[in-house]
Amino acid sequence: MGLKLHRQYKKPRFPRRLRRLWSRIVGLLLLQLFAPARGHSQNPSTPEKPVPILSGTAGFLTSVTAGQTLLDTQFNPVLLVPLGECWLVESRGEFEGEFQHQPGGSFGGPVNKHLDYLQADYIANPYLTITAGRFLTPFGIFNERLYPMWIRALQPDPLILPIATASSDGAMLRGGFPLSSAANLNYAAYVSVASIGIDGVESERHVGGRAGFFFPGPRLELGGSWQKALQDDRKNALGLHLAWQPRAVPVSVHSEFVRSNQGSGYWVEGAYRLSQLRFWQRAMRRTEVVARGQQFFVGNISPDVADSLGLPGAGTREADFGANYFLKDGLKAVASYGRQWSPAGNFNQWTFGIAYRFLLPLGREGTP
Amino acid sequence: MKRALLFVCAMLLALTALAASSNRKEMSASTPVVHSSDPDTMRTLGEQRFRANCGRCHAAPQKFPPRAMATVLRHMRVRATITDEDMRLVLFYMTQ
Repeated sequence: MGLKLHRQYKKPRFPRRLRRLWSRIVGLLLLQLFAPARGHSQNPSTPEKPVPILSGTAGFLTSVTAGQTLLDTQFNPVLLVPLGECWLVESRGEFEGEFQHQPGGSFGGPVNKHLDYLQADYIANPYLTITAGRFLTPFGIFNERLYPMWIRALQPDPLILPIATASSDGAMLRGGFPLSSAANLNYAAYVSVASIGIDGVESERHVGGRAGFFFPGPRLELGGSWQKALQDDRKNALGLHLAWQPRAVPVSVHSEFVRSNQGSGYWVEGAYRLSQLRFWQRAMRRTEVVARGQQFFVGNISPDVADSLGLPGAGTREADFGANYFLKDGLKAVASYGRQWSPAGNFNQWTFGIAYRFLLPLGREGTP
Repeated sequence: MKRALLFVCAMLLALTALAASSNRKEMSASTPVVHSSDPDTMRTLGEQRFRANCGRCHAAPQKFPPRAMATVLRHMRVRATITDEDMRLVLFYMTQ
């Protein structure tokens, strides 16, 4: 009863005056935002009329982890359908067969199907894109930008990848714009409201954002991510990321750091294209060597829950070294060696394979 | 929580609105090269922007047909949150 009385006399969280002020501020800002969309151009995205395309990655990997061989076949089709001058509908599916040596002697295993994203993007103006549907969660940079097989420099996932990167079902605001001639800002703010619960398209309820500053001069991007779960323990996850391509040498450095209830950790990766070497230049130009170091610290979840999320159940360190050879555009051969140290046991991981990126226009290709 | 959400959204809207208004001023005053009709200048700028933006994640792909490339660039604009100006210059570079 006392609690009820207290609630009756509790001040409303948003007094009427404050609500009115908020609505005015948001209204004015929205007017500001959408004004340039009218004045900027009738064609805010591209001068060429875009055509639907089917793209994606196909790959085959053989990995030997702690003496166990895994044949991993992946097919990730990406469908892009531009509509009018401001819309894009895009989708990516994942079909992955993981085949292991069975007791009978043959290889067998599950074929997993997963819808990574199916989203509609509306390019409202040069600074804002509104996205609705199922989308890749913009937490850090690996999940959104580096995940495809033909892009990633090392095929094994970073240990911290499962943290805060489950696909989102909801809406997102994102964009990028120059702050000055020396820096660009990119941002994303999202809310995932649905939890469909259907196998293959499961999701969770959360809210979050990411912001990054890109400095074109030194080709350096620094940014941070935040996510708050709106279910279960309602915990926060924080992330930092870095991407750097120095001008003097053909090196590409990426790094991420995450701190969350599920665990914390970091990875740092450097990839060096051997184009500066003066011998066997034709081959060296196509060759890239990679190294990655990473560490994972357990969070406040049980080893079983960690395992179900794809996280290590104990504190883990890992070092990976690899080489990629670009056979032709979109086709590369990959090889890597990694060693993991953990209280659960130390082991080696060898990976060999091939990755191919394809692109098929689904319409007339030339200039209209 | 709701207040924090509203605050974050308002800050983002304010930031983009600020950039929109400041960039409108800048466009007329200090960025004639972007709207230059000189193909060589645009190609050079496009290559620079390509290396700075796209090179952050992947190697240069081959040049696709212009209409396919327009779709790819629209996709990358959303995925990699590259700026409108950079996207236009990269598209010019990749289709010339």
